[in-house]
Amino acid sequence: MDSATYTTLSRQMGLWREMDLVANNIANASTTGYRQEGLIFSEFVKGATDGRSLSMGHGNIRNTSFQQGAITKTEGQFDFAIEGDGFFLVETPQGERLTRAGSFALSAAGDLVTPDGLRVLDAGGAPIFIPPDASNIAVSADGTLSSEGRLLGQLGLVRPLDASAMTREDGVMFAADGGVEPDDTSRVLQGFLEGSNVDPVTMMARMIEVQRAYELGQSFLDTEDQRVRDALRSFTMKS
Amino acid sequence: MRALKIAATGMSAQQMRVETISNNLANMSTTGYNARRAEFADLHYQQMMRAGAVNASDGTVLPTGVQLGMGVRPSAVSINLQQGSLKETGADLDIAIDGKGYFEVTLPSGVTAYSRDGSLKRTGEGLIVTSDGYPVSPEITIPADARSISINPDGEVYAYFIDTEEAQLLGQFTLASFTNAKGLEALGSNLFSTTEASGAPILSTPGLDGLGTIRQGYLESSSVDAVREITELIEAQRGYEMNAKVISAADQMLGATTQIR
Repeated sequence: MDSATYTTLSRQMGLWREMDLVANNIANASTTGYRQEGLIFSEFVKGATDGRSLSMGHGNIRNTSFQQGAITKTEGQFDFAIEGDGFFLVETPQGERLTRAGSFALSAAGDLVTPDGLRVLDAGGAPIFIPPDASNIAVSADGTLSSEGRLLGQLGLVRPLDASAMTREDGVMFAADGGVEPDDTSRVLQGFLEGSNVDPVTMMARMIEVQRAYELGQSFLDTEDQRVRDALRSFTMKS
Repeated sequence: MRALKIAATGMSAQQMRVETISNNLANMSTTGYNARRAEFADLHYQQMMRAGAVNASDGTVLPTGVQLGMGVRPSAVSINLQQGSLKETGADLDIAIDGKGYFEVTLPSGVTAYSRDGSLKRTGEGLIVTSDGYPVSPEITIPADARSISINPDGEVYAYFIDTEEAQLLGQFTLASFTNAKGLEALGSNLFSTTEASGAPILSTPGLDGLGTIRQGYLESSSVDAVREITELIEAQRGYEMNAKVISAADQMLGATTQIR
C-alpha cells in the first residue's frame, strides 16, 4: 500500500534537490568562470518479495557543463580568459586546485594571486612573481607573461584527465582527484574575463518544469490519500 | 528549502553589482576616477552523495556523486587601473600623470595619502595643494612675484619672473608606485591609503622605474565607460529578477507541500 507514496516521495525529494541546483546556477549567473551544474535522475530498482520489483526515481548523478562561457572585455592588465578546455593552476592550503576564473591581482609581495589571495602557479608549480617596476605587461596566447620584451614567467594551463571526477570547491575552484595533464591547445586572452556558462533561458524553463512536476507529485499524493480514505470507508461501511 | 536561501544570496550579489555600477556612473566626470567592478565566487558545496560511494551490493560506485552549491558571495570589488583619457584644460596647475603612479598628499592628520587627481591649486602663501587644500609632498612653494610657472614631463617645477630671463627651479614632484595598486584603500575625495595588500610605496621621479610622466595643462578623465556600465546594469537587473522568480517558484513548491492533507 505504501509503495506508491514512497515512490512519489523519493521523486519529490529529488525535485527539491534539483530546485536547489537551479537556484545555485541562477545565483551564480554572474560569477566569473562558474560552470553550470545539472542533476540526472536514475532508476533505483528494489526487488519485492513475490518476484515483482519496485522502481524509484533517484537524483544522484551530478552533471557539470564545461561549455565555454561568454568572454567579456574588461581591459584589466591581469584579467585573463581561457579559450579552450584548460584551467589555471592555483595553490591552496589543501593542495593545487583548478579554476577558470582569471581575474587576478598582485599581492604585496608581487606574486600573481586570485581575488581570495591564493597564488597562481606556473607550469612547473611555482608562484609567478611580477617585479614592481615591470610595466606594459603582455601575455601571449600560451600564457607567457612578458614586460617590454623581458620574460617574467608562464601561466600554468592544465586539463583534468577525468573532468567528471572533479569535485567543486568554493571560490570557483575544482579539485582534480583524477590527476591533470599540461594543456597546450588552450589560448589565454589578456584583458578579457570568461563569464558564467549558465544559460538563463534553459535554467528558467527547467525551474518551471521542476515546480510543475513537484505540484503534479503533490496532487498524486493527494489522490492516493483520497483513494486510501475511500477504501477504508467502504470496507468499514455496514451493509 | 535551500533554494530560498540560495536565491537570496543571488539577489544580494546582484544588488551589490548595481551599487558598484551606480557609483561608477555617479563618478563619470570625476577627475582621475577608476571604474570598479564587483566580482563574485560560488559558496561552499554540500556533499549529498560522495563520488565513489558504493551504490549497489555488487560494488558499483557512483561516478560523480551529488554536490549542492550554497549560492554566491562577493569575492572582490576590483578597481580597473586603466588610464583615463587626458583632457586639455590649459591651466598651469592642472597636471595629469601619463602612465603609472600616484601623487603623495599629506592629510591634516599627518597621514600620507595618494591621489591621481592633478587639479592642483595654490594657497595664499603660494604652497601647491590639492582641491581640498592638502599639501602635495614634497612641498613646493611658488613665489608671489612669479610671472608664470612651467612643469616639465619629469615633474620639475620652474618659475619665470618679469625681471630675469632665467627660469628658477622651485622643486620636483615625486610619484609613488605600488606592487599591488589594486590593494589601495579608497578614502574618498580621490584619495587612497596604503594597506597590507598594496605594499609600501616605491617613490621615484616621473619617467623613471616604469612610472608615468607629468603633463602640464591636462587632467585625467574618469575611466568609466558608460556603455559598458549600462549593459552591466541591464544584466544585473535581469539577474535580480531571475533570482526573485526562483524564490517565488520555491515558495509555490512549499505551498503545494503544505496543501497535502
